[in-house]
Amino acid sequence: MAKRLKDTAIRRDRQALLVAVTVVVQAVAAVFFVADALDDVADAGVTTHIAIEGLIAFALLAGVVLGALHMRVLLAEARRREQSLSIARGALGAHVAERFRDWGLTAAESDVALFALKGCDAAEIARLRGAAAGTVRAQLSQVYAKAGVTSQAALVSLFVDDLLDWPQNAGS
Amino acid sequence: MDTTPELTTPRRWDPIVKLTHWGVVAAVIGNAILTEEGSGWHIWLGYGLAALLALRLLWGLIGPAEARFSAFPPSPARAAAHIGEIGRGEVTQHRSHNPLGALMVYAIWATLLVVCGTGIAMSGPPPADPFAQRGEHAERTAATGAQVQEEREEDEAGEERESGEGEGEESELGEVHEIAVNLLYVLIALHLAGVIFETRRSGPQIVRSILPGG
Repeated sequence: MAKRLKDTAIRRDRQALLVAVTVVVQAVAAVFFVADALDDVADAGVTTHIAIEGLIAFALLAGVVLGALHMRVLLAEARRREQSLSIARGALGAHVAERFRDWGLTAAESDVALFALKGCDAAEIARLRGAAAGTVRAQLSQVYAKAGVTSQAALVSLFVDDLLDWPQNAGS
Repeated sequence: MDTTPELTTPRRWDPIVKLTHWGVVAAVIGNAILTEEGSGWHIWLGYGLAALLALRLLWGLIGPAEARFSAFPPSPARAAAHIGEIGRGEVTQHRSHNPLGALMVYAIWATLLVVCGTGIAMSGPPPADPFAQRGEHAERTAATGAQVQEEREEDEAGEERESGEGEGEESELGEVHEIAVNLLYVLIALHLAGVIFETRRSGPQIVRSILPGG
């Protein structure tokens, strides 16, 4: 889950970098082109050739500004997504902690329950906590009993059910 | 909602800031070490630098909040307050450049503008053929491989001619160009010293934020 989020972020960063590189190259090209066009004006005065060059120079400069504006939109969107995600993450964390408190989980049980929510099985939790698998299994069944569920999937569903509010127009 | 994530997520410069920063670094190093003063390549690289600078200044008007001028106004009062903070050992996170850094940024930009301005005033438009010497690119349209070779051989003669141009506007511009470049080196040294100082004071994040992928 976290990995997939990171991949999306990396893909978005790459996209932003591509736009940025384009804008930078365009800016450099525009400056050379404008300087060259001015040189031509100095050499030959205003001719049709110069008029067309002027048009191209204008298009290049407009491209730079529009590219930069597009870049800003991309960055603002990425930032907004990051922010809403971090707010949701914080809210989920607070909610989970509150439920654990309500159920009266001990500190060790809370740790085990958190790993269970993140999708670890008893053996993995035991390895991560450096505890015996039997101990973790006992703690897990304590957690399930206190939460009033019978499986890890049911424990997870409790929180999904609490927090998931499907947007009304998402299906249409 | 607007402020908390700003404070918790470390600052990262956007790709335009990073590209223009490192592009200018490359152009300054290139023109300081690799290209010959007044050569076609020197002029080309200078124009490239001017373009990057222009883009960064445009970005200062329309870029994201932390890249804009409004995020780091040149304020001696704030800089003084920042020095006070350093004295007291307080470390505050800045969304953009810290107030001392902001003064440095404006000083470097102003110096770069003088360097580019005097450079362009001396060279005129970039030569079509970067191998050509300054002032000789008028005949560039006819430039063949043989001619390019010839012009390169003339390089030494060209240099002598340059030192001969002692009087007049050209040399004044050249002097301003040189003084500004030397000032730029001093500012770069101060900038690096500032980065090293700030890294030891508040951690490597300040460096990471300008590196690719950071």
